[in-house]
Amino acid sequence: MKLAELQRFFAEAATSNAGPRAGLESVFVTDARLSASSRLGIYNRAYYYRLLDALASVFEQVRRSLGEAEFRRVGLSYLAQHPSEHPALERVGRLFPAYLRARALDEALVGLAELEWARLCALVAPNPAAVVTRANVDPAKLPASSLRLVPSLRWFELAAGALSAFAGEPLTTAAAPDHVAVAVWRQHHVVRHRQLGGLESQALRLAAQGASTSEICTIFDTGDVSQDVPRAFEILSSWFDREWVEGLAAPGS
Amino acid sequence: MHRAPASQQALSSSLQPSPGASADVGFGLRAAHYEVILQRGIRADFAEATSENFLGRGGRAWSVLERVRCDVPIALHGVSLSIGGIDPLSEAYLAQLAQLATRIDALSVSDHLCFGTFGGHYAHDLWPLPYTEEALQHVVERVQRVQERLGRRLLLENVSSYVEYRASTLREWEFLAEVVTRADAGILLDVNNVYVSAQNHGFSAQAYLEGLPRERVQQIHLAGHTDGGGFLLDDHGSEVGEPVWRLYEQALALFGAVPTIVEWDERVPDLTVLEAEAERARILASRRLARDTSEAG
Repeated sequence: MKLAELQRFFAEAATSNAGPRAGLESVFVTDARLSASSRLGIYNRAYYYRLLDALASVFEQVRRSLGEAEFRRVGLSYLAQHPSEHPALERVGRLFPAYLRARALDEALVGLAELEWARLCALVAPNPAAVVTRANVDPAKLPASSLRLVPSLRWFELAAGALSAFAGEPLTTAAAPDHVAVAVWRQHHVVRHRQLGGLESQALRLAAQGASTSEICTIFDTGDVSQDVPRAFEILSSWFDREWVEGLAAPGS
Repeated sequence: MHRAPASQQALSSSLQPSPGASADVGFGLRAAHYEVILQRGIRADFAEATSENFLGRGGRAWSVLERVRCDVPIALHGVSLSIGGIDPLSEAYLAQLAQLATRIDALSVSDHLCFGTFGGHYAHDLWPLPYTEEALQHVVERVQRVQERLGRRLLLENVSSYVEYRASTLREWEFLAEVVTRADAGILLDVNNVYVSAQNHGFSAQAYLEGLPRERVQQIHLAGHTDGGGFLLDDHGSEVGEPVWRLYEQALALFGAVPTIVEWDERVPDLTVLEAEAERARILASRRLARDTSEAG
């Protein structure tokens, strides 16, 4: 038997969600202590134990919401269909939120999974090249400059119930749940998330597209300067305070 | 098959040398200890970092790596290279690994003599290879490619195993010796894995050690195992067992004092427990180093 065939034989036995099949004695050594199937069963159990443990460590709140037995059932089903595609173990859950959605599970639960996945991504994201604070921004250059956002920052919409579930409240189900925008990022070593207002979410989208700060501020234009300017200042200032900006790019750069 | 005695093969000077005789000891960095390490550093001669935990990453893990690197050298130890796998080597993975090794000026780069990929997927496990001539040629060619890509010698660790292939024509230690000799690689000898596999398959651990090319054993691993009922389970979840300590002394007698790492992955205890285990290894390795120095003098 060739190397490739032997490896396929092993991998099938080690990853089958039904466990190793019988009749493996022709390929693997068996003895009085343990049959070949029992020996491969050690690898099979280790494979699912390790991956399920990794999934559970990322989706702690999903596990709490589903309960241990149901999380295990859903998790094993997911892992059988979606083996790891990344050399880092914790990334095995990349498709887990989409898997839950495809199974028509509650929107808030799917949102909770999306939030926990985003938090993992923020946790392991590369460090920013620098962090720009308000103190080192040149006010004269800021309006024409675009903002380069830190690698850990991401934002998306999810069912509102996901946020309260993450905070430990029971998962609330709704036929047509409200959706909210959420930003997730890492500040120093701590992963944070917060709900965004609709305008702030639009402003972030513009910033990511490379718009200048003055263009971003047009989002807050209601025609009432006395309210618009403080509002834009407050939101943009908070981005610097939360360490969302790793650099400013001058026009044309 | 023609085989020159492994001990007669010279190490290539074109590759970055790995550490030689030394009673240095250390342990693997684990997330459970990050806070303590950030506060007070580590008490060891060197540390080992699991490569995959730091590839392309920032945050706390990276800060720990930088903190440790200020104090001691770091050995990179991978689990996902799948050097024996039939899937193509991941160029993206190798590029990140090379970048990381350069960035921290890694003391060494190692991975396991096994396969862990299948059909483009990662098993996150260390699956044993069939010890055949075909597998040997396959692994040697891949080790050489990895070493060229990294610009340094790769250390290969023997894995613990629970199953053997009927197709194998070489004993595990013969296979390991041939791979590192033909590919001009080094050995990271996991003494616990030798013990576990010897018990599980009924071979002599001493014969295993004696079958390895001495000058290629560059590092040693120690770890704990548990009784799985009819077999030993290499779970890295307890203190190093007494039979493994005795085998470690035999390894030191054969290979001289070699930099040694204590690993602990399951039910990770307080950092001081690992430091105490490393200290025990240091005493044994120092004793061997002193004896070898005395005899050489």
